[in-house]
Amino acid sequence: MLIILAFIILFHVAAAILLFVATIHNAWWVVSQAGRDVIYADLWYSCNSTCYPVENSHTVDAAYLQTIQATMILSTILCCVSFFVFILQLFKLQQGERFLFTAIIQLLAALCVMIAASVYTAQKNSFHLANLREGTYGSSYILAWISFPMTLMSGLMYLVLRKRK
Amino acid sequence: MLTFVALASVLLLGIVPEQTEAIAIYTGWERHALLGSDIRLSCSFFSWRFTSDDVTFSWTYRPDGSRDSISAYVDNKGPFRDRVEFVGNPSKRDGSILIKNLDYNDNGTFTCDAKNPPDIVGRPSSVRLLVFETVPIQAGVITGAIIGVVLGLLVLIVVIYYLMRFLVARRVFSLSVSKHGKKKREGSQARQGPVPTADPTKVKAASSEKKKQESRKDKK
Repeated sequence: MLIILAFIILFHVAAAILLFVATIHNAWWVVSQAGRDVIYADLWYSCNSTCYPVENSHTVDAAYLQTIQATMILSTILCCVSFFVFILQLFKLQQGERFLFTAIIQLLAALCVMIAASVYTAQKNSFHLANLREGTYGSSYILAWISFPMTLMSGLMYLVLRKRK
Repeated sequence: MLTFVALASVLLLGIVPEQTEAIAIYTGWERHALLGSDIRLSCSFFSWRFTSDDVTFSWTYRPDGSRDSISAYVDNKGPFRDRVEFVGNPSKRDGSILIKNLDYNDNGTFTCDAKNPPDIVGRPSSVRLLVFETVPIQAGVITGAIIGVVLGLLVLIVVIYYLMRFLVARRVFSLSVSKHGKKKREGSQARQGPVPTADPTKVKAASSEKKKQESRKDKK
């Protein structure tokens, strides 16, 4: 029983850490052209040696970027909130009941990450400047996609788990 | 003694408001406008005196990067010729002006000064005008809006859920108390009593609560 609890907590914390790193670390999109500095771009800044904020003065196109920013931040917040709710429910629930509240919040976080990563994949050309068009996906993008199934599985585990003793 | 206190208080009350009796003028802080559009710059004031008939508003304009100001609408000369119009209502403390067909040269600071005789000492207030070709989305408005709405909805749903549970629990408690009370007095007639008056949804919730309690008892 204790092993399962430790595993679930570690899994949840790992998902939260991945979400934090994906949101904060500046490597969603990497442009490495021969003879120039490597440019790392993410949702807020694009940096080579100095950082410039991503152009957000386009009116309609900026909406996609801001949606991605909002859903990434939301999923991080929801993942942390669900962790606290899990700890709370661990002490407050009656025996045999499911951690429904925790599961719902965790599944919402998974939904938000999925929305963010999908919208980024589909719409990244609309808010990248011309010099950023050719590049490859960076590590933060991969982490964001990894944290989607992690949060999903974590939420489903909470749905199935029942409190004992 | 009493007359002395009364005189002193009247004197004090007479002195103190006069120091705070300056006119307070309110305009916006910054205004964004599209090239070629019209904009209404609002100006209003607060004064301890009644609004007199001789209320005057005066607007001056200082272009970006320049040091001297010009009057904005009093004389029909200068850069605002035929473009500026006073659309406020002085008797309602509104001294707004309307500037039509904005141009990039209209970027600058507009200062509004109001005088409400005899209350004429005050500090003018300025509003900065910025003219854009396309009004930019301020950074983070949509982001903040999405986050705020979703979190707010979640909190609302949680609060409503706990409220419903609390209300249902109270209803079940009062039902069971009245049931036990009437049972003591009379037999099966009392059981018919509460049922028709309760809502069908609450009866369903009450019965599900009872089922939960019974299943908990079974598990124990």
